[in-house]
Amino acid sequence: MKRRTLLKNTLAGSAAVVAANAGLLVPSVVLADWNKKAFAAKSLEDALTDTYGTSTATESGDIKLKAPAIAENGAVTPVTVDASAIDGVESIAILASKNPMPLVCEYAFGAGALGYVSTRIKMGETMNVMAVVKAGGKLFKAQQEVKVTIGGCGG
Amino acid sequence: MSINIRMRGKSQGGVAEIKALIKHPMESGVRMDKKTGKPYPAKFINMVEVLVNGTKQVDAQWSGAVSANPYMAVQLKANAGDKITINLTDNTGETGTETLVIK
Repeated sequence: MKRRTLLKNTLAGSAAVVAANAGLLVPSVVLADWNKKAFAAKSLEDALTDTYGTSTATESGDIKLKAPAIAENGAVTPVTVDASAIDGVESIAILASKNPMPLVCEYAFGAGALGYVSTRIKMGETMNVMAVVKAGGKLFKAQQEVKVTIGGCGG
Repeated sequence: MSINIRMRGKSQGGVAEIKALIKHPMESGVRMDKKTGKPYPAKFINMVEVLVNGTKQVDAQWSGAVSANPYMAVQLKANAGDKITINLTDNTGETGTETLVIK
């Protein structure tokens, strides 16, 4: 049993390395299952580490993050992330800094998709919305404060 | 019962913006029922994929912090006649699928 587990882990590890080296995006391999650990993480750093393997991201002016300065209803905060100015966007994650579980959603892109996502998210209180973009193996980020006048969690 | 999806999309210069409205409660599992003091059971879409002519181009994972009745827009390299498919799965295993042919 132990040998089998070891073999399985080694195989999975090497497959991921090969995919990473080749610079290919194989979502069905890399993201086969829902990343429970990342979504359960209680801090921004942990959520990022569990998603991308690192929490170090450089601020980038090429990410256009559109979110309201004041959200009247935190339960439906429109957020748009446009990172199409960056070449080869592999993934975009949206995080809400003070939510109990900050990671809201993560999108992985193939070659036929542009680095663009628009969605609506829940925010419990006034906090920062952060967009993290992965391109060329590096992480970039942009953030903006959103003032919430009615919380998104109380209902 | 499958999850209801409404999709729209138009191609302009080889890029199509696909917009989808999904009917789903997106119950995070954190919200408390004040009467019983227990949280409402979690029911939210956690896996979303978008395919262009059968090839997966967007693979998304969501948490319960995506708003109820989610709205999603993505941009794809697609022209008139291309077939866009959205597949969804929620944490209880319920699925939804919808296909659109770009005009």
